[in-house]
Amino acid sequence: MTMLALEVSGLSVSYRQGLGWRQVVEDVSFSVRCGEVLGLVGESGCGKSTVALQLLGFRHGGLRTDTGTIMLDGIDVLTLDRVGLDRVRGAKVSFVPQNPTTALSPGMRIGEQVDEILVAHDLPTGDRARELFGLVGLPDDAAFLRRYPHQLSGGQQQRVCIAMALACEPSFVVLDEPTTGLDVTTQEQIVDLLVDLRARLDMSMLYVTHDLGLLSQIADRIGVMYAGHMVELAPTAQLFSEPRHPYTRGLIAALPRLDEDRRTIKPLRGLLQRDSLPKGCPFAPRCDFALTRCFDEAQVLRHAGHGHQAACWRLAEMPPAAAPAAEELPAEPDHCATPPLLTVASLIVRYGHGVRAFTALGSVSLTIGKGETVALVGESGSGKSTLARAIAGMVAPTAGHIHLTEAELSPLVKARSPSQRRLIQYIFQNPDASLNPRATIGRSLSRQLDFFFPDRSANAMEQITAALAEVRLDAAYASSYPDQLSGGERQRVAIARALIAQPELLLCDEVLSALDVSVQASILQLLQRLKSELGIAMLFISHDLAVVRMLADRVYVLFRGEVMEFGPREAVFSPPFHPYTQSLLEAVPVPLKKRKPARQRTVTSVDIGTGCVYAGRCAAEIPAICGATPPPWRETQDGLAIRCHHTLEDLLKRESGLSRGGLEKS
Amino acid sequence: MSEANIELIAPSQMRRNWLMLWRQMPLSFRIGSLILVVHLLVAVTGPFWAPYGYSQMGAGPPLSGMSLAHPFGVDQLGRDVFSRVVRGSWIVISLSLAGTLLGMLIGAIVGLLSGYVGGWIDEIVQRVLEALISIPFLVLALIAIAAAGPEYSGNPVLLVLVVALVYAPRIARMARTAAIDIATRDYVTVARLRGEKAWSVMCWELLPNATGVLLVEFALRAGYAPVLIGSLGFLGFGLRPPTPEWGLMISENRALLIVCPSTVLGPGLALASLVVGLNLFTEGLARVLGRTVKLGTQ
Repeated sequence: MTMLALEVSGLSVSYRQGLGWRQVVEDVSFSVRCGEVLGLVGESGCGKSTVALQLLGFRHGGLRTDTGTIMLDGIDVLTLDRVGLDRVRGAKVSFVPQNPTTALSPGMRIGEQVDEILVAHDLPTGDRARELFGLVGLPDDAAFLRRYPHQLSGGQQQRVCIAMALACEPSFVVLDEPTTGLDVTTQEQIVDLLVDLRARLDMSMLYVTHDLGLLSQIADRIGVMYAGHMVELAPTAQLFSEPRHPYTRGLIAALPRLDEDRRTIKPLRGLLQRDSLPKGCPFAPRCDFALTRCFDEAQVLRHAGHGHQAACWRLAEMPPAAAPAAEELPAEPDHCATPPLLTVASLIVRYGHGVRAFTALGSVSLTIGKGETVALVGESGSGKSTLARAIAGMVAPTAGHIHLTEAELSPLVKARSPSQRRLIQYIFQNPDASLNPRATIGRSLSRQLDFFFPDRSANAMEQITAALAEVRLDAAYASSYPDQLSGGERQRVAIARALIAQPELLLCDEVLSALDVSVQASILQLLQRLKSELGIAMLFISHDLAVVRMLADRVYVLFRGEVMEFGPREAVFSPPFHPYTQSLLEAVPVPLKKRKPARQRTVTSVDIGTGCVYAGRCAAEIPAICGATPPPWRETQDGLAIRCHHTLEDLLKRESGLSRGGLEKS
Repeated sequence: MSEANIELIAPSQMRRNWLMLWRQMPLSFRIGSLILVVHLLVAVTGPFWAPYGYSQMGAGPPLSGMSLAHPFGVDQLGRDVFSRVVRGSWIVISLSLAGTLLGMLIGAIVGLLSGYVGGWIDEIVQRVLEALISIPFLVLALIAIAAAGPEYSGNPVLLVLVVALVYAPRIARMARTAAIDIATRDYVTVARLRGEKAWSVMCWELLPNATGVLLVEFALRAGYAPVLIGSLGFLGFGLRPPTPEWGLMISENRALLIVCPSTVLGPGLALASLVVGLNLFTEGLARVLGRTVKLGTQ
């Protein structure tokens, strides 16, 4: 019998809403053993963060803990008074927040921020901050301690937050989406750090995230939450191999995966509607297996195997899930034969002047064929969005040309013709900000019609209905306001607004990133359908390689404003890889793939502008050459082009030298 | 949103919902709106029930102080101060509202456009606004009145224009800040990408989303307008006697402050309660409209 680090039983939490209270967490029970990492996963609004905050005894006027106990080291956190909580927080249980940029005080040196916690707990400061920084892999010299948060990168800031959480050697750490705002390669390093810390310090952790794939890399057990209920609790491997609850199955089926060459995913049916949850199982309205009994009878966690529990009374009837059947892939048209729809030639975008000039895009060339989907991938700051903005005419390029079919596009949208403006439509990342909150959906759509088809507004209503139908929304949506819609519905409306202009090219700027997994799957399906049925070309910007693999025909990999590699999808996703592409691919958490530590990447100072932009971070760097001379383009027969000093044979060899687990072509 | 829901529900339910809505409102909003309702009622119905005319002399013994028949006393000329306050109410309120409304209109248009267009146009507009704001408002008002010439002195239209002139630059700055914020939202970018002109972006995208900020700004300014008009009246640059404008009344009776304080206290109290009511209402409104709305500084 191992010791329990934490035991939560029967936790129910309500938020104030209007004059009443709404229960957001209902009867959640789980325990974490010493040294164990429990993952808590679920879509937004499922109550996972609320549970996490309760572990620290978070209290607020609009929040009420109805029932339950949280036993930590023999103390019930929920019964502690303010003074008691002050003593427990930080010392016994600590918290790593989602956004390190806002979690650190911008006006205080990072060393002082760590000392502050030690002082609050009456511990000697001394060299403890340096020690902690060494522990989390930050430089521990005095000069670094005197830095301000804005002088650190996002990954470093998160490391400082982790150091602060560890300052008083707590036995339990709560992590609330600690890597969500970070790049995939930075995320990989933070996860490495957490795995390493856990092994060294024997910590217990609760890791809250919406990313199932990520949890598979770090958690021992995973709890799945839905609408405030814990619906399944299982060891990680078992959860992926034999998910028992229909919701978990749906989530896993909706997950785009890099290790499978699937081009279809199955989204979950319907939406979480908190106002009309049934008495019984909250998932019943969306469940494919639901019977009348499901709607009436409350579900509790039942035994479903060793250490495996699921809240579904039909467990016994449902066999362990089989892998979803691969659907027939539609034949892909050949885009190379037709003349390109859009050509971007040596586009350079520079901000600022003189010494302080910043090059966002350094000579990027790109073509998009008619009906072709081209993906742009890269870390944040690689210039993906800048390129799309330049194509849309929001940013004037410093040099270079953009051609739409034959005609050259003016740098700024003001100078373009109405039909040029109509043919290129932009879809934004955040559906909350892309619709005017004070205009009905119908108005937002008809405004497009007024502009692009001024003489045909007589049948505007028909066109709006048709556009909404195209994105699978009912005509009744035309009279509703954006705040009455869910995030996924808003993104559909944003797509409908682009479609109603009858464009030839959609610029999709991270359109899936702000959405939940199941919603993301349905939007992805929608985009796939638009592509095959309407033959609209897309420039698809994403940092999610799994999604790119499902949607794109060709892929461009960008780093610091320069194309590192481009080619047809399959060629980019199979060896030989550019070292940068490889690091991106390796950083993607693939469920059940054996994790291996990220390669050490030390950032050395490189004279920017002389050699390869990736030199200094590259694991395969050739000293004295990479930093000094620009790399040549190397091409294969299947259209892949890699910009690297290594020959293709070298890159292939490098590839075979490293085991790449599930990434090999099946 | 709550109003939209209410329309769908049966009338008895509707009344209950309104009551619930009322109870949910912040206390300051409830008190403020009660005071305002009283003021508006007096302004509209006052002329019909006020016991004496505003220039009717001989209402009682001059300087007779407070009594049941003359709650605010009787002034030097034997006029009932209470009746004068009641009959002057609509003048004060309508002048304040008209002036603020005009200032709002000009300020919102200038501010929103300047914030959205940006660049050197914005720079120039900002410098002009700063110059106007740097002049103390009373001095600015006096300069404007002096510039209009003596033949317009005491003209209510001039007063409205002066209030608008004082307020427009201040409102424009608020509107500009709001516009800069809203202009970064993606729906504005969408409008720009489809080639909308600045004017239509302002009408369709900026204005509807700035209403929260502008409404609060309006209420705040409207609350201060009676004071401005009163100050002008007090200095003798406002309306002409015997108009029962409150500031003018305070000015006329200020020499009697020691002999008969109620003649100053009456219009003073009326002015103060109107300003307090408007301010409470504003503060509550700001909270109702959302916590994101920030109140501007005076």
